[in-house]
Amino acid sequence: MDPQALVEAAKYLAAGICMGIGAIGPGVGEGIIGAHALDAMARQPEMANTLLRTMVIADAIAETTGIYSLVVAIVLIFVV
Amino acid sequence: MLEHLGKELALRFTVGGVEVAFNPVVVSLALGVSLALMGLLLWVRRGLPSDPDAPLSRRAAAVAWAVEFFRDQILGGLSPTLAERLFPLVVALFLYVLACNWAGVLPLPYAVSPTQDLNVTLGLALMVYVLTHFYGIRAKGVLRHLKGYLEPFPFLLPLNIVGDFGRTLSHGFRLFGNVLGGALLTAVVAGKFAPLVVPAGLNVWFGLFMGLIQALVFTLLAVAYIRASAE
Repeated sequence: MDPQALVEAAKYLAAGICMGIGAIGPGVGEGIIGAHALDAMARQPEMANTLLRTMVIADAIAETTGIYSLVVAIVLIFVV
Repeated sequence: MLEHLGKELALRFTVGGVEVAFNPVVVSLALGVSLALMGLLLWVRRGLPSDPDAPLSRRAAAVAWAVEFFRDQILGGLSPTLAERLFPLVVALFLYVLACNWAGVLPLPYAVSPTQDLNVTLGLALMVYVLTHFYGIRAKGVLRHLKGYLEPFPFLLPLNIVGDFGRTLSHGFRLFGNVLGGALLTAVVAGKFAPLVVPAGLNVWFGLFMGLIQALVFTLLAVAYIRASAE
């Protein structure tokens, strides 16, 4: 088998697996963050603005690993 | 497909054995965005009444709303002196990142978001990194600032140093990945599946909405980092 074709196939497969598995963690994490922020906002609506700001920061941090896997997938497809 | 991103235009040359690549499209767009912002803000400022008791014009009301937004939403919770010091930086950072993100939506040839180039986002993140130390030293002095690396336990020093760099790296990569991911998805969909209507919707979602959210996140994180180091 042509080794170049094997590399071609492997890199698309790897990018798909990387993005698919890498998206699980941030998805679960952001769901938990959003749920708890909604809980807190429902309990104390006057705190909603502060909570929203903190929630956005927490979302961004939870999202970081997902972004890393996105960058790895992009590098796999377009650079390797 | 990558011609949508202007990548093939990168100039490559070696300086002292290190290969340097920079993209004139991104550089000129990054500078153009800042010039356009300056022009816009000067135009806004010219329309403001010099008399503070004048009846509120539309432009003055918009500026007042924006100032209140920055003060309450982004700088809320900081000590008043630090908030006062950070105000111009935060406004400039937010507006610049926002304008850079939105530049990719313009229906012009070679109009890409400068923030989808890692050099731009990491440059901004490094600027914030330097500023965290600047404000930390200014607020606490060199020794007490450096002592912060020994908190809460001295044996956590390596972890604190690695965390410092990892924080800056992820600060830059987050903006880069979000903007590049959106641009790539839009380019792929426009190039392969649905050339007409769907890319416009994707542009609204990834270009305008996510651009706004990411500008907000970038600024909020910069404020959070500076605050953690200065307070």
